[in-house]
Amino acid sequence: MNRKRLLLLNGSPRKAKTSYVFARTIKHLAEKKGHKAEIIHIIEYFDEEKHFDALKDIILPQDILGLITPLYVDTLPYPVIWFLEKLSCDLAGELKGKEFFAVAQCGFPDADLLHPLLESCRYFAKAVEMRWLGGLGYGGGALIDGTPLEKLGRKGKKIISAFTSALDDIVEGKNISPSAQGLLTAKIPKILYRPLAAFLNYRKKREAYLQGVSDADLTRKTYLENYKL
Amino acid sequence: MSLVILDAFDTENLIEKALKNLLQKRGETFFYFKLKEMKILACRSCGACEIKSPGKCVFHDDMPEIMRAIAPGSLILMLTPVRFGGYSSQLKKVLDKLMILVLPLYTVEDGHLLHPPRYGKKSLLVIGLTGQNLPGEEENFRLLAARNALNMQFTHKTLLFTPTDPMVKIEQEIDRVLCEVKPG
Ligand SMILES: Cc1cc2nc3c(=O)[nH]c(=O)nc-3n(C[C@H](O)[C@H](O)[C@H](O)COP(=O)(O)O)c2cc1C
Repeated sequence: MNRKRLLLLNGSPRKAKTSYVFARTIKHLAEKKGHKAEIIHIIEYFDEEKHFDALKDIILPQDILGLITPLYVDTLPYPVIWFLEKLSCDLAGELKGKEFFAVAQCGFPDADLLHPLLESCRYFAKAVEMRWLGGLGYGGGALIDGTPLEKLGRKGKKIISAFTSALDDIVEGKNISPSAQGLLTAKIPKILYRPLAAFLNYRKKREAYLQGVSDADLTRKTYLENYKL
Repeated sequence: MSLVILDAFDTENLIEKALKNLLQKRGETFFYFKLKEMKILACRSCGACEIKSPGKCVFHDDMPEIMRAIAPGSLILMLTPVRFGGYSSQLKKVLDKLMILVLPLYTVEDGHLLHPPRYGKKSLLVIGLTGQNLPGEEENFRLLAARNALNMQFTHKTLLFTPTDPMVKIEQEIDRVLCEVKPG
């Protein structure tokens, strides 16, 4: 078997939440198949806790890079764009010829929202001449909120099988097959949006109430008020 | 119309010149933020701006300056180079923090699950400068701008220019679009 080395980039500033549990699962699945995988947190490079220059030695032995990231305002979070810009400026030579894939997840229960983000990842791969293996999108990542997938019952099992199927393709250098995305997509019928919105509003207002914040406070037009910085 | 310009270019450029020329001719007052010169901390997704400090980031940076201009304003104009079919990091540092323009609550509009706007509906004009972009990047950029507008429930327009476009053309196009965008 051709053993591969995978570098998984966690794009969330929160180092132990949904993007991380996705990355962790992909790492374990890769290791179970006899491959080597490690996870790094983009935020540590952004915050200069780790030196960007040190990435060169980390990247060189890798065969495959995978970005696991949340969606922020319809695309990649700021630190992730910063990181990709810097990679394309400083380490394009090192990245050239390697393979790249992305797994994105968002708050709203609609994986279609991740399309522009995944396209940006594809354009990044092209810009640095990496081979794009494809992307996966999961809608509803906020509800997972860092819970290990093994503890999520049926939902977790489906996500794990989607990652298993995608990984089979990834380590063989094949494009991720659409069936993996099929396993990840659990579309909520639009007719349920209104009851869902009502339920989420009830939950948020209750959370606020328990912290002593009224509905009026929650909806404050803060920047139209006179306040001291 | 009260106008807030978020300029994500690192250096002075044709779009900035054309825009300033045009706004002067139109006698328009505007807020101009050169983002490179501003200290904007990355959103850490701490959630404090939802309940603990409604509508306000708890980390101290230059966002309040921008927010004080945007909250009562009617049009946000974003200028950015097209990066990987999307925005540059310089623009994204502000955009991530503009989630405080919406409430941490939910509503359904035209079959979309959305957050209600905190300061009412506004308009968004996104202007991108293409460089050596790949086929399809422009469409992705337009789609992203449209998604942002939907997310915030704003009306929107997108313009894309190339570095070889003449100043007059840029001015005319922006002029035309400024007449069209009206807060929803
Ligand atoms: C600044 C910010 C912007 C966000 N924008 C969106 C969005 O446009 N659409 C969406 O569905 N979720 C959005 N989310 C929700 C996150 O994508 C979601 O909570 C995700 O699961 C967080 O991933 P993490 O747990 O790995 O940090 C946003 C979250 C933050 C903090």
